[in-house]
Amino acid sequence: MLSIETFLHVGLAHYIFLSGILFSFGMIAVLMRKNVIVMLMGVELMLNAVNLSFIAFSKESGNLNGHIMVFFVMTIAAAEAGVGLALAVAIYKKFHEVNIRFFEHLRG
Amino acid sequence: MWEAIAFYSLAFFLVFFAFKTITVPNPIHAALYLVLTMIGLGAAFFNLGAQFIAGVQMIVYAGAVMVLFVMVLMLFDLKAELRSFSKGLFSGGLKVMSAALLAGLAIGAANSSVAILDTQDAAKPTMDVTRQLGILLYTKYLYAFEALGILLLAVAVGVVAVSRIKGGTHAQH
Repeated sequence: MLSIETFLHVGLAHYIFLSGILFSFGMIAVLMRKNVIVMLMGVELMLNAVNLSFIAFSKESGNLNGHIMVFFVMTIAAAEAGVGLALAVAIYKKFHEVNIRFFEHLRG
Repeated sequence: MWEAIAFYSLAFFLVFFAFKTITVPNPIHAALYLVLTMIGLGAAFFNLGAQFIAGVQMIVYAGAVMVLFVMVLMLFDLKAELRSFSKGLFSGGLKVMSAALLAGLAIGAANSSVAILDTQDAAKPTMDVTRQLGILLYTKYLYAFEALGILLLAVAVGVVAVSRIKGGTHAQH
């Protein structure tokens, strides 16, 4: 099944594979990094990987609903980045460092 | 042939930059690598025939969101961290394996759904894609679009409110 033809004919599966790799990188960043800002960057990477798979499916199926969904996901991602960075600023004002280790001191 | 070469070089750069984003210790360098990843994703969108989304990706992500990240990082005056990853070799391995498992499950599910995808109307769009996108956005998805406007207003107010917090209920005066 795996022939040279499979590699040369770029289709939906190739883009889905790339999107899965990028999503897992973003998830690893969220799970393993200690800096809150880099964790937010991991979230952005995951959202973008999902956008890539939306666009690939939209091209394959030939309708534009995937494009609309990507548009909405981008808006939500911008809002999420704004809220996350505001929270990071609030954390930094209190502890003078943005490290996930300080989140256990947050009560109320 | 050239399509395959373009895709594989783009995929190589995307994976390389994403890997550098999550592994470099300095957060500023991570942000700059993330900008390169976003630009590569914009090129991938352009490859897939989504010109408008590619332009929006450049403006919104590589322009606005990443400038926001870099400015917040400069506000913090962070140095490169000595321990940028959480500790524990075993739990770290578990985290990487769980991420890889999730990606594998998603890829497998999507690949098995490729066969049953309805592709009979996959002919070239009759109109310009951007024009069609605008018509769809302002007719079928009009209420969702308006709801997004309200959401962005609420988020703008909420961001200002959160960033003016002075210590919460346990504040020491």
